[in-house]
Amino acid sequence: MMREERVRRLPMLISALVALAFAIIPLPAVLDQLRPDFLVLVVFYWSIESPRAGGLALAFFSGLALDVINGVVLGQHALALTLITAWATHLRLRLRVFSVLSQSLTIFMLLTLYQFILFWVDGATGNPVVNYGRWLAPVVGAVIWPILSATLNRMRER
Amino acid sequence: MVAFRSTDTSGRTSGLLLRCVLYCLLALGLIIFDKRYDHLGKIRRTLSFVAYPVQLAVASPFEGWHWFRESVTTRDSLRADKAKLEAELRVAEFRLQRYEALETESERLRALRESTAGVADRFIIGDLMDVDLDAFRERVLVDKGASQGVFVGQAVLDSGGVFGQVARVEQYTSEVILISDPAHAIPVQINRTGLRTVAVGTGDTSRLKLPYLPTSADVQEGDLLVTSGLGGGFPVGYPVGTVARVRRDPAQSLAEVDVRPAAALDRSRELMFVWLKPAPAPVAGAAPAAPAAPSASAARPVATPPPSGGAGTTAKAAPKNTSAKGAGRP
Repeated sequence: MMREERVRRLPMLISALVALAFAIIPLPAVLDQLRPDFLVLVVFYWSIESPRAGGLALAFFSGLALDVINGVVLGQHALALTLITAWATHLRLRLRVFSVLSQSLTIFMLLTLYQFILFWVDGATGNPVVNYGRWLAPVVGAVIWPILSATLNRMRER
Repeated sequence: MVAFRSTDTSGRTSGLLLRCVLYCLLALGLIIFDKRYDHLGKIRRTLSFVAYPVQLAVASPFEGWHWFRESVTTRDSLRADKAKLEAELRVAEFRLQRYEALETESERLRALRESTAGVADRFIIGDLMDVDLDAFRERVLVDKGASQGVFVGQAVLDSGGVFGQVARVEQYTSEVILISDPAHAIPVQINRTGLRTVAVGTGDTSRLKLPYLPTSADVQEGDLLVTSGLGGGFPVGYPVGTVARVRRDPAQSLAEVDVRPAAALDRSRELMFVWLKPAPAPVAGAAPAAPAAPSASAARPVATPPPSGGAGTTAKAAPKNTSAKGAGRP
């Protein structure tokens, strides 16, 4: 049991680090607005596929990393990511038997909620972002979700 | 549904809820503490030590690519560049000759007025790190930080004009907020008329706006805006932008004025961090003896103590030396 968990956590950490790198890799301004929340998707994946490996802790600390890297108020992404990941974990058994389309739609809903929490914290802490572009990220995230989960599946099976 | 419940034991679910509530409370606590009390600098700094390698790892391939492109430029393009730079240098030196006289004069006048508000004193050059921060905020990451003496609120320029100011400082990096960020405002002055106002960012790197000018204000397209030095954050007299468009609606009491920034906000890779000259104590005493003051202030005290000894990139803003060299040129 112990050994199994240890085996599970390494790919989790590696994929989270890679996703973090993807979150800050420089892109042209147009693509930058469309950039999906890679780290959020990766955290979703692990909380759905192996909820016992500590998905919530991963969510919390990934959120903190995003806060530090984005230079926003500490705890903002951590709060949003923890809440959404908890919900994704709760939904995981249904998600696993969903068709690809329904999975993507669910992910879209979760990502939108995630953006909404960020938006709300932004407003509550007094630096609102006046740009509709941020609502595009959930769409892109939902579109690449099947690809990402298939890639991570393959990586995990290896 | 029932099948799901049996696999997902109720103990698990309540555990999930409990942990979720705990983490959320922790996150909320962090938000409140960070916002209200600003006590979390240490935690943030520790976390950024973890984030720094990731940022470095992402930035280095792009820096490598820039380096590679620079190192394989052809001899011809280098020669063309050199010719262009020499021509630019000649023009700059020509302007500097006049600048020195003007600066002495302005310093004399300032001594008369007993004010030395916001004169730039020392620069260090920082390079932009190839890292994207939040796509919807106008911020950039620069590779100079607290260890080079950079501080929060410090003015940042590029070769065209005012670029922004330091919003956050880590050990080896700092985050610069651009003048085009919607949360940023900079006190400016219209060079032609001396009219003072405030330029506010719009979230678009090619546009600032002057929202506080009355419809009757004397402002035209093409007017140069320079920093007024009020507020003390920015050095005085650096270009901020030119007025691109003025709309006057007689029904409104305020004019809508768009400004094109002078700095290349979306292209600059090298930025200058500026230290303002600290207000010299002797000026107050020397002010009554105004005629004697110029000679004292002409030998400008360049040995101002740097906050923590900048690296080799530190350069004193000493136009005297440059123009002396320029005079020696054939």
